[in-house]
Amino acid sequence: MKRFLQSAITLFGAMFLIVASGCTSSDKNSIRIGAAGPMTGDQSKMGIDLRNAVELAAAEWNEKGGVLGKKIEVIAGDDQADPKQAVSIANKYVNQKVAGVVGHWNSSCSIPASEYYNKANIVMISPASTNPRLTQQGFRNVFRVCGTDDQQGGVAAAFVLNTLKPKRVAVIHDKSTYGQGLADYFKKSVESKVEVVYYDGIIQRDADYKAVLTTIKEKKPDAYFFGGVYPEAARLVRQAKEVGLTAPMITGDGVYDPTFIKIAGSAAEGTYVTFGKDTAGLSTAKQFNERYTAKYGEPGPYSIYAYDAANILLSSIRDTGTTDGAKLADHISKTAFKGAFGEISFDKNGDVTVAPYVVWKVQNGKFVEAH
Amino acid sequence: MLIQQTINGLALGAVYALIALGYTMVYGILQLINFAHGEVYMLGAYLAIIVLGALTAIGLPEVSMILTLVITIAVAMLFCGAYGAMIERVAYRPLRNAPKLAPLISAVGMSILLQNFIMLAQGKDYKNWPPMLSAEGLTVAGARVSAVELLILFTSVILMVALQVFVSRSRLGKAMRATSQDMTMAGLVGVNVNQVISVTFIIGSSLAAVAGVLVTLYYGVVHFFMGYTAGLKAFTAAVLGGIGSIPGAMAGGFLLGLIENFGASYISSAYKDAFTFLVLIITLILRPAGLFGQRSIDKV
Repeated sequence: MKRFLQSAITLFGAMFLIVASGCTSSDKNSIRIGAAGPMTGDQSKMGIDLRNAVELAAAEWNEKGGVLGKKIEVIAGDDQADPKQAVSIANKYVNQKVAGVVGHWNSSCSIPASEYYNKANIVMISPASTNPRLTQQGFRNVFRVCGTDDQQGGVAAAFVLNTLKPKRVAVIHDKSTYGQGLADYFKKSVESKVEVVYYDGIIQRDADYKAVLTTIKEKKPDAYFFGGVYPEAARLVRQAKEVGLTAPMITGDGVYDPTFIKIAGSAAEGTYVTFGKDTAGLSTAKQFNERYTAKYGEPGPYSIYAYDAANILLSSIRDTGTTDGAKLADHISKTAFKGAFGEISFDKNGDVTVAPYVVWKVQNGKFVEAH
Repeated sequence: MLIQQTINGLALGAVYALIALGYTMVYGILQLINFAHGEVYMLGAYLAIIVLGALTAIGLPEVSMILTLVITIAVAMLFCGAYGAMIERVAYRPLRNAPKLAPLISAVGMSILLQNFIMLAQGKDYKNWPPMLSAEGLTVAGARVSAVELLILFTSVILMVALQVFVSRSRLGKAMRATSQDMTMAGLVGVNVNQVISVTFIIGSSLAAVAGVLVTLYYGVVHFFMGYTAGLKAFTAAVLGGIGSIPGAMAGGFLLGLIENFGASYISSAYKDAFTFLVLIITLILRPAGLFGQRSIDKV
């Protein structure tokens, strides 16, 4: 019995030491927030843009003395645009007891990860996941500062119907939660007025899309819609030109990035992309752009959204005086925030009340607002 | 549409065929599936970007496009050939008399090593190359054949004919065939077996290098992971044609390109990759020796 007690005490002692060392290894006087997105792989630019913006926001708060007298520490999580990886990042954040998460970027990552944040009572604000399902799960702690794909698909559809006035359209998507969701909303919005002559998925990361493009060309559409992200979109427009498909591509916010034009070259000309309104005229956005550029170079399309998301999270911690998820969520859903991007307030689901999508067009190697 | 899809399929198939030749030649001699072969193709694609970048910097493409392409292909073949010989020397030769599973695992290891080496040396992001040849080409019976597609078909057919002549007519080709029939006997009658095996790897790897360069010109996108899928598909092409058979690999490559394209256009583009592997499974069940093969396939 004595020996058993001895070994039990030793064991407990050892466990205590491990636990204690786990606690002391990180600074107790800091508030940790997560920044999650794809930081490696073909969509890595988006995740890095997101992390930089969150780090910029944290650095600005730290210069002013942090929040609640504590420094802010940003923990970057690379989900590689892979839902499985996103869940493991979510688990890591739960174990590290972060006060909130800015992320993830892909809808297919945000949706499974949000379940874990919800269970652990952690606030999650996605700067870019637009699939409507994310906020329809009944989770009170899940927010997004961007619009949704039903709004976006509607804007794209309205533009196509009123401006391009096609008789026949083709619809393709990359089979992801985001891409297929967006393509489906677009299809639903145009179906009753124009003929959808083709609808199918394509394989992400495939090099060759000529087969599907040739089939589409044969159906003679006046325009084709693509639900997906820029690496695939760039290969599609490039190969479309090669097979002689001249109809313009209409696509969503996942393609709004200079990298798209860089990869596709002149084939990108005339592509229509739905995205948020132009921020060049906003003084707060200008300020953000200057600071971001000084530190990291040109901001990405979603940097400003991530920056606003981080500021919403941090100012809520300051205003409520707590890092408790439920109280933070309550505060966020009731407050109107002044972001770099303009005023942001949330509806009961956690979506922004105003989601101003506009249509952009690639012209002379740049995105310009289309009218 | 049918003609256009056939052209698309043949261009894609030519690339598969060039890679498949490397699989089949090595298998014919060593009964080894060289899983690092897809990575050599990937190296060829990266070399294309590097060499084309250097040549563009000195302004050669404006002077002579043909010379630019010839230099790029030659440099890529040279480098990849050397890589192929090195891979054989380092990863397979020490294991030549080991149980068959050992070099196979060594091949998988080599593949992972090369992928990660390129990832660290060249970065994880896609590398791009703008279109160099005009998108317009010939119009044949209502179908468009772009300049790059012509280049792919032309180059690959020439290389395949050259390979066939080399293997059937030259002294070294004869030694190669002898080694593939019986390595010990070939050695006894004076064939330098090690040399023959090195040459096999060099030829297979330089063909993969050409495939890499052509794909870079065709799609303009290069990624460190691209050798994995392409390698699997070329392996499928080799099995379809009958692994170990050179004409089999050529036919298998073209056939697979056509199957993928017709499947994607007439059934569903969402299952394009599935068609390839369906072909692999069906071949292995119904005709494990492939279309042109005679021997049975060893279990891998």
